[in-house]
Amino acid sequence: MEIETETQAGVVVLRPKGRVDSNSARELEEALLPRFDAPAPVLVDFSALSYISSAGLRVLLLAARRSKATGTALGLSGMSEPVAEVFAISGFAKLFRIWPDAEAALAELAAG
Amino acid sequence: MTALSLTLVNDLAEVGRLAEAVEAFCEANELPMGAAHALALSLDELLTNTISYGYEDGATGRIEVSITLAGGAATAVVRDDARPFDPTGAAAPDLDAALDDRAVGGLGIHLVQSMMDEVGYVRRDGVNEVTLVKRLDG
Repeated sequence: MEIETETQAGVVVLRPKGRVDSNSARELEEALLPRFDAPAPVLVDFSALSYISSAGLRVLLLAARRSKATGTALGLSGMSEPVAEVFAISGFAKLFRIWPDAEAALAELAAG
Repeated sequence: MTALSLTLVNDLAEVGRLAEAVEAFCEANELPMGAAHALALSLDELLTNTISYGYEDGATGRIEVSITLAGGAATAVVRDDARPFDPTGAAAPDLDAALDDRAVGGLGIHLVQSMMDEVGYVRRDGVNEVTLVKRLDG
């Protein structure tokens, strides 16, 4: 997995590429969790992600808790069908703000 | 090739190797994408669990994974010499819990139970044997 990071319209966009599994979840954790110490909204765009396991869900749960604790907004976008299925089965879909693509997410997250 | 057989050690790096092998096998046999993903994810979750929690620190484990295609279904069997663990007896996590109360433990096994058509378990001669069946008829 690789993680591309950029800032768009004042929103920090993290774009993990490939697979988030028990091997790579720590990389996502290290890239994502410190972002909630700053005020800029955070978008995790899954458009280049083919796979996520429960190890990746754990990291996103931690991120959602950090977001709630510090008030830095968190959004998710661009889920492929397998990734969306994992979010649905795990009941995680209702714990996050999820947009079909990064563009739609950015428009709302940037507006605050 | 309508069967896949792999022997792994108890190192999380093996999860990636398994994923590649399962993906290549599913592709070569033209399995439907949904079934291929369900198999890959389920095997990942089982292996991750076993490797993370099944062995004493420093112990060397041996895990055998096989997949066979027959009768319109893919059947995967995982055999390991880790401590006894029955995934069919694991309690489902509370999927409606609020953010602060959500537990991550048990989520992987819940994914396996949801994505597979059958999950079987037997402990014999000091070996856990988990059988997963995924029907391929859509």
